[in-house]
Amino acid sequence: MTTRQENRILAAPVVLFLLAMLGFPTIIDIIYSLSEVSFENLRSPSFNGGQNFVTVFNDAEFWSASWFSLKFGVTTAFAECALGLILAVYLAPIIRNNNWMIAVLIMPMIIAPVMMGLMYRLVLHEFVGSLPHYLYTWFNWSPAFLSRENVFLTVFTIETLQWTPFAFLLFYMAYQAIPSDMREAAAVDGTRPWRMFWYIELPQMAPTIAVGFFIRFIDGFRVFDNIFVLTGSGAGGSTTSLSIYIYLSFFRSGDIGKALAASVVLFCVAFVILFFAGRFLRRKRA
Amino acid sequence: MTVKRYLLGAVAAAALCTATASNAEVTVLGWPGGPEEVALTAAAELYNSNPAVSEENKVKLIFFSREGFFDKLQADLAAGTDAFDANLLATYSIGRYAPYMKTVTLSDNAADVFGESVLSTMQFEGKQYGVPTDLSLHFLYYRSDLNEALLVDESQHAKYGDISEKYLGARLSPKDPDSWTWQDFAANALYFTKSINPDSPTRYGTVLQLKNLLFNMMVFHSLPRSYGADWMDADGNITVDSDAYREALGLFKILVDAGATPNDSFSYEYAEANAAFGAGQVAAMVQWNAAAADLKDPDKTPVTAEVTSTIAPPTGPEGRFTHVHGLGIGVNASGKNPEGAEAFVRWLSTAEAAQTYALNGGAPGLTSDAVAEIAEQRPDLVPLGEYASSYGFVMNGGTSAKALSVYELQAKEFTGFLSGGKSLDEALSATSDGMAELLK
Repeated sequence: MTTRQENRILAAPVVLFLLAMLGFPTIIDIIYSLSEVSFENLRSPSFNGGQNFVTVFNDAEFWSASWFSLKFGVTTAFAECALGLILAVYLAPIIRNNNWMIAVLIMPMIIAPVMMGLMYRLVLHEFVGSLPHYLYTWFNWSPAFLSRENVFLTVFTIETLQWTPFAFLLFYMAYQAIPSDMREAAAVDGTRPWRMFWYIELPQMAPTIAVGFFIRFIDGFRVFDNIFVLTGSGAGGSTTSLSIYIYLSFFRSGDIGKALAASVVLFCVAFVILFFAGRFLRRKRA
Repeated sequence: MTVKRYLLGAVAAAALCTATASNAEVTVLGWPGGPEEVALTAAAELYNSNPAVSEENKVKLIFFSREGFFDKLQADLAAGTDAFDANLLATYSIGRYAPYMKTVTLSDNAADVFGESVLSTMQFEGKQYGVPTDLSLHFLYYRSDLNEALLVDESQHAKYGDISEKYLGARLSPKDPDSWTWQDFAANALYFTKSINPDSPTRYGTVLQLKNLLFNMMVFHSLPRSYGADWMDADGNITVDSDAYREALGLFKILVDAGATPNDSFSYEYAEANAAFGAGQVAAMVQWNAAAADLKDPDKTPVTAEVTSTIAPPTGPEGRFTHVHGLGIGVNASGKNPEGAEAFVRWLSTAEAAQTYALNGGAPGLTSDAVAEIAEQRPDLVPLGEYASSYGFVMNGGTSAKALSVYELQAKEFTGFLSGGKSLDEALSATSDGMAELLK
């Protein structure tokens, strides 16, 4: 038996598992996205060509949800990576001698996003929440955290607080992995700290930062749990992300074809982004 | 030896499970996590204790989370599940589930127990799909201490009149809440708002539940209905773009813009509104009847329980109304034991079952005769049946297959208007177009 044949045999179980668990739902997803289907005719959908995609692309709400997801994904990924990088670099000397601090710093990641939403629903409530309570006590005033004007900033902050530790952990590991002799050589040459960071450490960490940014962007782009628990889809649909749009179309409107057409679009967009991200990283590595 | 012991244990456990399963052949999916669960459990125990009920028709209850309950139920029923023989129904979702449910025949005296109007909350296209177990409608919750003080303190009446004239365009004077119109409700809300009246003992005059959520639209609907609103006319034309809806939305907009409701009202639903009222910072609110048990319990709401009173919602030019819907139990057409399920549902419509259900925390809408026997233990149920029969309404189309979607659409568009995201014309036009599509 050749190595190639052995590889195929060994990979077969995983391939079969993936086909069953991912391939089958994907095929059903695509079939339904091209069908007139609701809960009433779930077992006998009728093919309607690309009508669902036309409906989705003509739906202003879809574009509004896409814009929300894009804005949320980019801004949160940027903020989390920036904060994570600052924390990783500035806390590195302290953490080196106090490893337990990592456990404390990554604690927010342990909380399920849906619990995070519930938690802030309480924390921000004007009459039972701690934050408005202290604001009223000290300033006799508290902002409307979840009003139409402030809600984006609020959910952005909550997401950033929860997932900055992820970026921090990733970047701290990358920072620690930079060979010490590079730093020593630079120090011997009299390189100042800022130049050391900008010209030596940051380029070394760049691939990890890019990976971290893309992971966080994808996570932010498909946000659902915490926002849905906190504000639903928001006043007038103001916090409807693409995932929330798909959920509402599927379950609340019962428009399964439209929901799945939107999910196929989301899949394609994610695929394109990941494809180019992969290419970018390969080039960078080369 | 140890392995043998484990094996024996496993066999015994399996046998126990099998025995339990064979003892409970009618599986009923109930509304989880509240008084309804406790009440249904007590009723099922009483039913199972009846020697006339055969072993294969004894009832086993199952519950899953409330979160997305109706969505999960929809998916299960559409997939033809036989995991349960009977399941929860709600007035606003009967049309959606009717294709997967069996019609039921209730006990001969069901009308004497519940009354025709309450029975109709479990009907779709004239057919009975379930037995009503719990009734939900709205009360006006108000602070009797504040209202009484205002009524006797005539020095404040001029200020009350000034405030109502400024915001509502009409000079009003304080009244007993039982004779309030919606204008009086609004005037009271404005007067008891600290940012408008610095002498107000409460921070806000009312709390509006404005989260983009279908249940909040049900709370809102008692207002436009009192101005004559309906979803459709007799010919099936959508009538949401009407003066009645404009008046109602306009009144809410005045309260929102004036700050008479908490700043974060656009994230408020049932629990948040109760918390605001229970904190003693709200003078009056329209809320589900289910909140009465907690809001009038001094242990659960120590600040305001003793001074909280309830009556039917305010009146409008077309009368006094409260949205009403029922929860109930219907029979799954794909269940394994539909006959057993029907027998249980039929029994639930008897006076014995309804009273057991009520005495264990449920809130059935009972006729005055039926409720009289338990009025001492459950005084809160007395006005429930009375309000349902006197003021209860269901919008035309409110039990259709797309009723929930209509509520969703209205929630999105109306909160869009109230939060300043779109104009009233845009919101009503989009609602009208969407409803025409949904209810065609």
